[in-house]
Amino acid sequence: MTQKSFDPFEIWSGAKWQEMVQKWEHEINDWSGKVTENEQFGAMMGQLTKVQIVAQNAFAEQMETLLRNLNLPSKAQVDALSERLDAIEDSIERVRLAVEALATKTAATEAPPEPKRTRKPPAGDASRA
Amino acid sequence: MSEAEQLSPEAVAERVRREIDRAMKRNIKGLDFLTAPRQDVGAMAKELVHREGTAMLYRYRPVMDEIYRVPLLIVSPPSNKGYIFDLAPGQSMVEYLLGRGYDVFNLDWAPPRRDEAHLGLGDYVDRFIPDCLATIARITGESEVSLSGYCMGGTLATIHAALHAGNGVRNLVLFATPVDFTHMHLFQKWSDRRHFDLDEVVDKLGIIPPEIMMGAFDLARPANRTAGRMHLWTNMWNDEFVRSYRMFDRWAAETLPVPGEYFREQIRYLMWDNALHEGTLEIGGRKALLSAIKVPILNIIAQHDHVVSLEAARPLRDRTGCTDYHEIVSKGGHVSLVAGPAALRRLWPHIDGWLAERSV
Repeated sequence: MTQKSFDPFEIWSGAKWQEMVQKWEHEINDWSGKVTENEQFGAMMGQLTKVQIVAQNAFAEQMETLLRNLNLPSKAQVDALSERLDAIEDSIERVRLAVEALATKTAATEAPPEPKRTRKPPAGDASRA
Repeated sequence: MSEAEQLSPEAVAERVRREIDRAMKRNIKGLDFLTAPRQDVGAMAKELVHREGTAMLYRYRPVMDEIYRVPLLIVSPPSNKGYIFDLAPGQSMVEYLLGRGYDVFNLDWAPPRRDEAHLGLGDYVDRFIPDCLATIARITGESEVSLSGYCMGGTLATIHAALHAGNGVRNLVLFATPVDFTHMHLFQKWSDRRHFDLDEVVDKLGIIPPEIMMGAFDLARPANRTAGRMHLWTNMWNDEFVRSYRMFDRWAAETLPVPGEYFREQIRYLMWDNALHEGTLEIGGRKALLSAIKVPILNIIAQHDHVVSLEAARPLRDRTGCTDYHEIVSKGGHVSLVAGPAALRRLWPHIDGWLAERSV
């Protein structure tokens, strides 16, 4: 058996590096898989989500007060504005679609022709499942 | 090449040159990567043909002079953007299907507004999908479509077909579609009904932010993101790899929020009660029975899917009333079914082969 010579660049070659990273990735993910199998994981996740929401709400309330004191619009006010903008955007979209539908009717001859819907599968297609 | 040749002075010099060249490119391109604007996505021209709040129906412009009679509607999962089906030339499922003569529509989702927090499963399967079918019928003159969906988009398509006994649906083409939610192990653990206060989460938040769902993914596969970055660094010299990475990274980062009521019903009825699989799911007072689905089904499952396992997707084979069922178990993971060059070579030609003869 011939002994493999030392190659200082081998570690940086794509294949070797990829192999190393993949091994590490699998090990960490496997470990995580075992952790999530644990009964307590669900309990912890439930708590975590709850804490996250409570913290988010508390932070949002604090921010709201701070912004009001600074005479700046709060998130709720920006959200309300955003909703109005969304409604305007929707209206514009509906108008656009209506105008386009009208334009299609009146200028049907100018529109690019719709392709014929008569295509048949190629006979003897090797890709047939 | 032998090992002696590999380590000859010329070979070593060549390796040194190559590694230095790559290191320089990594650094230069790494800087570009950090300062670059977000990666453009989308290969094919499309047009918005219908919009109703969060629901947006696009039609991709047909590229063939002669197309199949039956249009194809792909339903995106409500938590993800539909451009995953059309990432870039050479990696786009839509580009492939258009080139093979299909008329492709995509039901995509805008982030729901606060006043849409009340939208539930029924709005998706009994309002948005039927409205899209009506729009497609008006545009194409065809009264039936091949209804397709990816992940939860597939589940919504399946529930719609079950509710309407396949009326208006010629075929079902489903990608990584969960049906038996007892096998959605990660989400089962994460939403364990003994510990997860569903009503409090929904009532407090209204709209469920993407971070809530992303947190669960990261806990299941904590190394994936870091490993992805490590692969990226090694391949930073490779423009094609970087472009591809940035497109997928953008898609993953742009996970959408979902309406609270939809989230509540998804967890309660699908995850906890497994109601679709058990035949107890009711939408608007009607039962959504898998056994009512009699149209041809193509069920495409990823072999190494850590989100939707084979067991979660496979019951479509036995639970539906379909007598023309085909299943493809494809190598790769959850996303590799609908995007990337590997699917273009290995998977999509089989889908075309199956769908073509059922689209005339």
